[in-house]
Amino acid sequence: MKMFQTMRTSASGLAAERLRLDLIASNIANISTTRTESGELYRRKTAVFAAELAKSGAGQGVRVAAIEEQQTDPRWEYDPTHPDANADGYVAYPNINLLQEMTDLITATRAYEANVTVLNAGKSMFLKALEIGRG
Amino acid sequence: MNKLLNDRTSLVLQLALNAAAERQRVTAHNVANVNTPQFKRQVVLFEEKLKQALQEPELPLARTHERHLDNIPRTLGHEVITDNSTSMRTDGNNVDIEREMVLLSMNQLHFNAVTQALNNRYSIFRYVIQEGRR
Repeated sequence: MKMFQTMRTSASGLAAERLRLDLIASNIANISTTRTESGELYRRKTAVFAAELAKSGAGQGVRVAAIEEQQTDPRWEYDPTHPDANADGYVAYPNINLLQEMTDLITATRAYEANVTVLNAGKSMFLKALEIGRG
Repeated sequence: MNKLLNDRTSLVLQLALNAAAERQRVTAHNVANVNTPQFKRQVVLFEEKLKQALQEPELPLARTHERHLDNIPRTLGHEVITDNSTSMRTDGNNVDIEREMVLLSMNQLHFNAVTQALNNRYSIFRYVIQEGRR
C-alpha cells in the first residue's frame, strides 16, 4: 500500500466530480445547440463512474468508466425560419432538462466538497503522525 | 532491548494506528464513490477483532520459554470487509454521506488519541533513558 494512497483516493473523487461538473456545464451551455462538429444535434452527456480497486481488492477511489451520450428523442420546436428546421418546419433541440442538470450540479458540488473534507482530514492525520516521538 | 520498544501496549497502539490509517483510506474510497452506481461501502473491522483476541482464553501461540514469540500475534490487525447488507438509493449504492463524515471525524479523533498515547509511551521511555533528568 502506497503511503499517500488516501490522498490519491480523494483526488480521484475530486477529478471525477469535477468532470461531472464540466459535463453539466457543457449540457447547460449547449441546451439550444442544433449543430455540433459532426453536424448532428448535441446530445446530453453523462459520466459513468466505476470503483477503482487494487489487485488486492483494496479500494483505490473512483474512475470515469465512460462518458455516455443520451440517445432519447430530441425536443421538437416549430420554427420554420431556423436554418436547421426540417421540411415540416420543426427544429430538433437537445432533450436537456434544466431542472435535472441543476440538481445534478448540486449533487456533484456537494460530493466534491465531501472529498475535500476527507482530503483535509487525511492531511491533518499525517501531520499528527509526524509528531510521534517528538518531545 | 526488543522488549523495551515492542511491549504489548506499544504493539497494540501501533496496530490501532494502522487500523485508523486504513479506515481513513477506506472512508476516502467510500466518499469518492458516493455517486458510483452499484457501489457497496467498505468497512474496517479492528476493535471487534482486538476484543475477540483479548477475550480468547488462550492466545494462538503458547509460550513455554521466554524466547518464544510474543503472545500478541503479529497477524492481529484490521480487516476490510464490504457491506453488502444495505442499499441507500435505487442505483444500489449504499454510501450514506452523513455517516461517512461522522466516521471520518471519529476516526480523526481516534487517530489523534492513539498518537497521543504513543507519544506518552515514548516520553516515559525517554524519561527512563535520561534517568529522570529533564
